[in-house]
Amino acid sequence: MDKSFREPIRFKWIWVVLAIITLAGVPWYLPQGTIYPIILGFPYWAFISVVSTIVLAVFMTYVINNYWDMESLVEQDEEGGQDK
Amino acid sequence: MSEVKFIGWHGLVVLVLYAVFIMATCIYLSARQTRKDSLKSFYIGGGGLGAMLLFFTLYATQYSGNTVVGYAPAAYRTGYAYFQSIPFFIMVIVGYLLFAPRLHVLAKKHNFVTPSDWLQKRFESKAVTLLGTILMAYGLSNYLLEQLVAMGHAISGLTAGFIPYFYGVIFLVIIMFIYEWLGGMKAVAIADTINGIALMIGVVSLMFLSLRYFGSLGEAAQFIVNEAPKKIGVPALETSINWISIYILVGVGAAVYPHAIQRIYAAKSEKVLKKSLSRMAWMPFITSGMVFIIGIIGIKAFPGLDKAQSEKLIGMVANVIASKSALNYWMMMILYTGIIGAIMSTTDSVILALSSLISNDIYGRFVKPGASEKDKVLWGKIVGICIVLLLLIIAWKPPATLFEIFVLKFEILIQVAPAFLLGLYWKKLNKNGVLLGMIIGAVVASGMTFAGVKTFHGVHGGVIGLAINMAVCILISLAVPSSKDEEKKAEEIISLNA
Repeated sequence: MDKSFREPIRFKWIWVVLAIITLAGVPWYLPQGTIYPIILGFPYWAFISVVSTIVLAVFMTYVINNYWDMESLVEQDEEGGQDK
Repeated sequence: MSEVKFIGWHGLVVLVLYAVFIMATCIYLSARQTRKDSLKSFYIGGGGLGAMLLFFTLYATQYSGNTVVGYAPAAYRTGYAYFQSIPFFIMVIVGYLLFAPRLHVLAKKHNFVTPSDWLQKRFESKAVTLLGTILMAYGLSNYLLEQLVAMGHAISGLTAGFIPYFYGVIFLVIIMFIYEWLGGMKAVAIADTINGIALMIGVVSLMFLSLRYFGSLGEAAQFIVNEAPKKIGVPALETSINWISIYILVGVGAAVYPHAIQRIYAAKSEKVLKKSLSRMAWMPFITSGMVFIIGIIGIKAFPGLDKAQSEKLIGMVANVIASKSALNYWMMMILYTGIIGAIMSTTDSVILALSSLISNDIYGRFVKPGASEKDKVLWGKIVGICIVLLLLIIAWKPPATLFEIFVLKFEILIQVAPAFLLGLYWKKLNKNGVLLGMIIGAVVASGMTFAGVKTFHGVHGGVIGLAINMAVCILISLAVPSSKDEEKKAEEIISLNA
């Protein structure tokens, strides 16, 4: 198989990082009813969610651009004729 | 929605001009390039959609008018916990990452047109293909019904009731059928591009004008601390569990929507697909994110609304803004046109996906195997029109009983997910496991809906159904394994090597 071949699902660490970012953005671990400090109009816990969501978008962009490369296989297929 | 005091004939003129503009552009740019005698050309644009069209068709299809009209009231009622509506749209891209890279390669290799093509190729079982197709067509029909109702409300809002609900919907449905009939997926993608741009302009301007006239987010936060502290404090644990459950439901569910899968097939190349999806990861910030802020600002601007009143929040906000100046008035008209456009762009994609399932899978596999492609495309178009007519009658005069059967969407659609998520990677997954899993998952999810039990300890019925479905798939595939030959064949199908 081609060396440059990369499929995101094969990299376990990607999914661990995704789970951490996602779970950090949900306030299940914070004391219920707490509000302060309010940062830029968001209570602290929602501000954590805002940051985690931005990190999530950055990480997704990074993964899509760096850990998804199966094009070489498609090209191979096209050169070798398609299975109808 | 009916709160906005637009002058009726203004709305009518804007709506007609906009619809005719979309129709003419789509026909001009797509009709000659689309072959009506080829399923692939008609339903997935020949698998040749470029980066801009693919991005906008993904965007406009995913974000419906409900993202504006329904999410602002939800943020109003829930408070800051509704921030979840931003990450959950990114979770859809995470959902894609689970299967799109491989499915795109296999779709090019095997010339897939519909999601059921994958089911048939992988499991070679008429029962699996038929059940999967029925679940997808059923979920899609209900999704379509919801869009048609939303379209009617938005039109009567824009035209201040000048156009009765039903005639407005009929008018737009006819417009959509004309450009779809002539240009297929290519026309839909072009319409989605125009509608997506209108939606973006509308939402962004609504948020900035809301900040200008109703005060900043910080002021709203201070008001909420004093008047409705529950909407700003850390929510209860069950809300957090519900939040994670929504991630799974939407992340997996929206990614395996048939029209979403068809866009994976339609991408011209992997590069184009990657580019579109990485842009999509940022779209929630300028769509549901802005709508969320409008909902929160609304808590201060219009305090104390009950559930029914809060549903009209966007109309109220737009009405105040529109009354300030003539420029604002026309900006709000663009917003309403964008909302209608967003509903149109979801509706046309769903109609096309539904019609492809009918022509390629129901007609082409079960009614008349061996029919010509031209025949199949024509059949899909005609039955598609009949289904939409039937749904219009239901939308117009909803049945008094059994209305629940029209509510099931995500819960049902998501039950085909294991056939993709497991089927693409695990050669031991077999038709018996998938079939039984889909049946049990669908029964559990719909049973919970009919019983009125939306969630169990915060977890949605669709997610519980999906978990049981996955477990059944794995257990049955292990307990009643396929023959060595079948396993070898599965391995060859999911193999990425030519």
